[in-house]
Amino acid sequence: MSDRPARRESRRGNRRGRRGPVLGFLHDNGLTLAFLTGFLVVLVAQAFAGRAEFNAQLVSEGLEPVSFGSYVTSSDFAVDVTENWQSEYLQFFLYVFGTVWLVQRGSPESKELHRVGTESDEDQRVGAHARADSPRWAAAPGLRGLVYSRSLGLVMGGIFLLTWLAQSVTGVAAYNEQQLRQLQDPIGWSRYLTSADFWSRTLQNWQSELLAVASMAILSVYLRQRGSPESKPVGAAHHATGVEG
Amino acid sequence: MGSTGPARRVRLVLAAVVVVATACGCGAPRERIDGASAVASSFAEAARSGDGTAMCALLARGTREELARSEGTTCDKAVVEQRLSTVGPVREVDVHGLRAMARFEGDTLFLSRFSTGWKVVAAGCVPRPGQPYRCRVKGG
Repeated sequence: MSDRPARRESRRGNRRGRRGPVLGFLHDNGLTLAFLTGFLVVLVAQAFAGRAEFNAQLVSEGLEPVSFGSYVTSSDFAVDVTENWQSEYLQFFLYVFGTVWLVQRGSPESKELHRVGTESDEDQRVGAHARADSPRWAAAPGLRGLVYSRSLGLVMGGIFLLTWLAQSVTGVAAYNEQQLRQLQDPIGWSRYLTSADFWSRTLQNWQSELLAVASMAILSVYLRQRGSPESKPVGAAHHATGVEG
Repeated sequence: MGSTGPARRVRLVLAAVVVVATACGCGAPRERIDGASAVASSFAEAARSGDGTAMCALLARGTREELARSEGTTCDKAVVEQRLSTVGPVREVDVHGLRAMARFEGDTLFLSRFSTGWKVVAAGCVPRPGQPYRCRVKGG
């Protein structure tokens, strides 16, 4: 039993050897690399579409259109980007923390119903229960162990707060530029935090993220995607919880 | 003494926020403020001396054309007839991206940055509560 992981690793190593180091790296990191590449392509596409829309607005107001370089360094582009980033990181932060305490019967996104909470040290392989291949900080006592045990949620939550801050800073700059174009007074950052513009941008993103999470949790109870770890195996019972395909 | 890890990280994060804020045009660089301020001052000086030609040279094209069209005369004559009370030195200049406002005693100017530099898009503006400024000179 105990040599199974080692055998699996060895098989993995052999496969990587057959593919060569570059193809092996691409295969082993395909999910991250594909989504990062997609992110960059779509970000550039957003910049082109955003600039076209922004310039159409400027021209209609009798102002000069801006260059691509000016647009991608403008507050208008920055706020459009950061308002989406913050909500995505909020979604994962809430999901990571929420699924500790909240369960969904029949969903592969949920753990088993009786495991609600932070679970025992033995279940989590921390402290004295850490194994030889556990991360070093999993065995660490005190604050280090405590922080590492929550590091995924903390980092997601931290990035959410930073991107939300960035949204507010770039948002007030974009808002004030628009105010001046419309011959109105600019406002300060603290007043912007209570403005309709800030909360409209924020809440329209939050509602869509929450809907997506709720949909995924409940639809994955009854629907399947063969081969995806986000789904239960096709033949798994609807009531089976915490089972991944 | 070197800084401790967390303190250094906090400083790095703050530095990153400043870099992002500057890169996205959220904070106005000195050069932009000075540029807008200089054009606003020149416009005020031209208004004080009744130099319509100089004032029109500092107006944005859309504003110039709208003024001439609405008054049915040339820009330099029409702008002088507006009797703008743009007096005294610039009291405050507020720049956001490529737009700016310059406050004078009794008048406010709105400016935009074009490829030819800062230009006045609206002048003779007075505030109205909850509404855009009312401007005697502005684009269409």
